[in-house]
Amino acid sequence: MMMDSSSFVAADSSRCTGCRACEVACFAAHNGGLGYTVGTVGVPVTARLYLTRVGNLCMPVQCRHCENSPCLNSCTAGAIRREEGSIVIEEAACIGCKNCMMACPFGAIELVPVYREGRRIMQQGGGEQRKTAHKCDLCIKNDGQACIEACPNQALVLVNPKEDLKEKRRQAAMALALTKGV
Amino acid sequence: MNHFVKGNPDLCIGCRTCMIGCVVAHEGLHIFEVDPDSYNFNPKLSVIKTAAITVPVQCKHCENPACMAVCPEKCIHLEKDAVVVDTDRCIGCKTCVMACPYGAIEIVPDSRNRVQIDGSPRMIANKCDLCIHSKRGPECVRVCPTEALTLVTEEDLEKEAADKRIAAAKALAEMNGA
Repeated sequence: MMMDSSSFVAADSSRCTGCRACEVACFAAHNGGLGYTVGTVGVPVTARLYLTRVGNLCMPVQCRHCENSPCLNSCTAGAIRREEGSIVIEEAACIGCKNCMMACPFGAIELVPVYREGRRIMQQGGGEQRKTAHKCDLCIKNDGQACIEACPNQALVLVNPKEDLKEKRRQAAMALALTKGV
Repeated sequence: MNHFVKGNPDLCIGCRTCMIGCVVAHEGLHIFEVDPDSYNFNPKLSVIKTAAITVPVQCKHCENPACMAVCPEKCIHLEKDAVVVDTDRCIGCKTCVMACPYGAIEIVPDSRNRVQIDGSPRMIANKCDLCIHSKRGPECVRVCPTEALTLVTEEDLEKEAADKRIAAAKALAEMNGA
């Protein structure tokens, strides 16, 4: 039985200018086009990737769609599932226990307030707004990934581990042909 | 210095005996008694065939392992001159796969058929461990019928470099008319 690893989006810090176009595009893609023009956003902009600055480094960080997803395996509500090679949170089922957020080693999950069509969704039996775990879903409902398409400097790529391995192994084989001494 | 196994494309005939030997060394002979379709055959090296050459490719056990540096779970460590993955702690995040420039790490389903909470197979980062658990050394080297695989140690590398320097010095001396 052979199983291909899921693809994921990874950033190249040498190309990222920190413009946050990826974050806005992510938010727009998941909110029915909100944010494509000025003045259309009445809710907090919650992206599923996080522009991260540390020292001279600047790049967005997001989910790796791990094969043994610690988020999925730690979810007590069964709200995280695999779908078309992506690890997806079903927001309606999320109870906000924060296990996934703590289990993720990449900081790729945040808890965000829930809005629907610009309106706050409240908890049942409490006066507080509903919150849900929130993460990259590889835009499985659309063609392609909004962050990759929006990046003006091609700093984001969809990594396909299988293709990546194939090319690297071919190069390694050629290198062995040049290092036959030992 | 870490050791590593190196394939020689001049000798390799592409028979993949090394891949089978690798699985037997890590999983035992029971693999010959199970249904091949239900078994996760996970060799830790891969025979690469291009138009020009055929050779097994595997971990170089780098001195500054990129895989070890990027693992968020710290489950890759150095042990007995080898870079080794603690597969029980691996979360399958693929960061090591991306970091390795040799394509020497692959995420594969666990051979023991363990499953995750949602019933999907448990995945592990699979890479060469130089058979450090075995007294016989790397099994791929032992089983290769054409001796196309060699275990390279620090002494081998140093001796080769020293021999080359001697040869280079002699050649220069000859050129200078000594």
